[in-house]
Amino acid sequence: MSTTMSDQQGSHGGVQVRSASAIGKSRIEISELDFYYGAHKALKQINLNLPDKQVTGMIGPSGCGKSTLLRVLNRMYDLYPGQRATGKVMMDGQNIIEPHVDLNALRARVGMVFQKPTPFPMSLYDNIAFGVRLHEKLSKAEMDERVEWSLTRAALWGEVKDRLNTSAMGLSGGQQQRLCIARTIAVRPEVILLDEPTSALDPISTLKVEELIDELKHDFTIAIVTHNMQQAARCADQVAFFYIGEMVEVGPAEQIFTSPKEKRTQEYVTGRFG
Amino acid sequence: MSATTFSSIPGAAKNEAVALRLGNARRRSDAIVKYLCILATAIGLLLLVSILFTLLMRGLGGLSLSVFTTMTKPPGSGGGLLNAILGTLIQTAIGTLVGTPIGLMVGTYLAEYGQGSRIANIVRFVSDILLSAPSILIGLFVYQFLVEPLGGFSGIAGSLALSIIVIPIVVRTTEDMLHLIPPTLREAAIGLGAPKWKMITLICYRSAKEGIVTGVLLAVARIAGETAPLLFTSLGNSSALGGMGSPMASLPVAIYQYAGSAFEDWVQLAWVGALLITVGVLAINILARFALRGKR
Repeated sequence: MSTTMSDQQGSHGGVQVRSASAIGKSRIEISELDFYYGAHKALKQINLNLPDKQVTGMIGPSGCGKSTLLRVLNRMYDLYPGQRATGKVMMDGQNIIEPHVDLNALRARVGMVFQKPTPFPMSLYDNIAFGVRLHEKLSKAEMDERVEWSLTRAALWGEVKDRLNTSAMGLSGGQQQRLCIARTIAVRPEVILLDEPTSALDPISTLKVEELIDELKHDFTIAIVTHNMQQAARCADQVAFFYIGEMVEVGPAEQIFTSPKEKRTQEYVTGRFG
Repeated sequence: MSATTFSSIPGAAKNEAVALRLGNARRRSDAIVKYLCILATAIGLLLLVSILFTLLMRGLGGLSLSVFTTMTKPPGSGGGLLNAILGTLIQTAIGTLVGTPIGLMVGTYLAEYGQGSRIANIVRFVSDILLSAPSILIGLFVYQFLVEPLGGFSGIAGSLALSIIVIPIVVRTTEDMLHLIPPTLREAAIGLGAPKWKMITLICYRSAKEGIVTGVLLAVARIAGETAPLLFTSLGNSSALGGMGSPMASLPVAIYQYAGSAFEDWVQLAWVGALLITVGVLAINILARFALRGKR
């Protein structure tokens, strides 16, 4: 639509859109995935690849299954009896939804940040160290270094470096969410799942988090679920549109927002329904 | 407001006088009930205040250092409540130390592992019944299984009876406090790769800490004043402390024994004992309430 498209950014009706960067190899390959809440089928035959070190955005109206899909990727549904998944979710040659997968090891490789910030009731330092201590044995100096690294990558170090031993509950909402991101990356996962990470935050914190995502994708594969289409357009390289449990279309962000192939996608991104 | 505005709604036209009369009747019954509530509160407070007042009047007179430093002696030769005080402290402490871990573990099981499970529902039901069971039954139970076979009353039997009373209190408080923890906090811990037991001990217990401690304090306050179960288990001891293997003194039983005796000084001791127990239990309850203040 815009005639002055730069290399990195285009725009469609005022929405900034990422141009199609080369979609490389896949970190996670989902095929023929069905998901059930009891007898209700919430996801139907999902086929989706998450490209390595890229951001995949998942959009769609409420109840379409995008959060459900995210929670399959780290087997979070295991906590709740009556929820089950069938199909294949391949990561490094292993189907992670099979029964005998080491869940703790999986979750060390696939981290998750939730919609509502969830700081643990302990000091900032202990919040970050909690996850690391589960999987690694570090000396005090090494742990200090890891904490500083995580908080720096999460754009929080400058604000909190003098009060690492104070309680995490004393931070603002935006700071708490960045703490949760720092906590997640401290264990050095390969994939980070973000479930509407900024919907509870003010616009300034939202902007900070989105800038963060842009930097993090150099090292991590990211999947982000968002209700905010503009956010998906700003942050994602690849976007998948979901509707009532089915994945309607997936493609480069620019294509989905400027020239989608499916009619339903077109109607959703133009705001015909929500 | 013209009638035509509401021409589509059925019914007679609005009558201001009727509305006013109904409003007045409503305000009248509101005032009546309000004053009845205030009256009920006043009666309740009056009862409480008069109990405290009586205890202070009768008990303060006999309060002296010797009450805390000498054992009870035969009537007429002075003496204090040291044995009863120590006996209550010991049996309450052991009852709490034995009952709390059990209650904590059962409460944790019910909250974390027993959602919807049939066994968990049965355990919860039984625990709630035990919570309101007459404590004399618990005393009789321990009498049957520990006192009779061993051939005598003992401090250990008394402690055991008290611990059985502690368990359902701690179970209920632990389960309730753990339920208050938002699921997202648990998921955050699990999402980092924590095994379930670490999530429970490192995150959940930490979150629910104040509430659980409050529950334990309330259990302590309860058992410190229990008389009936001790009557059948440690029996009480009016001359010495006694021991774990023999009849052991305690404040509630001492009050029971001395209050009905024919001797002035023993009756005075009973009043002092009653005052001590009341102040002690009140102090623990107030402490527990302040501890819970910070928890929403």
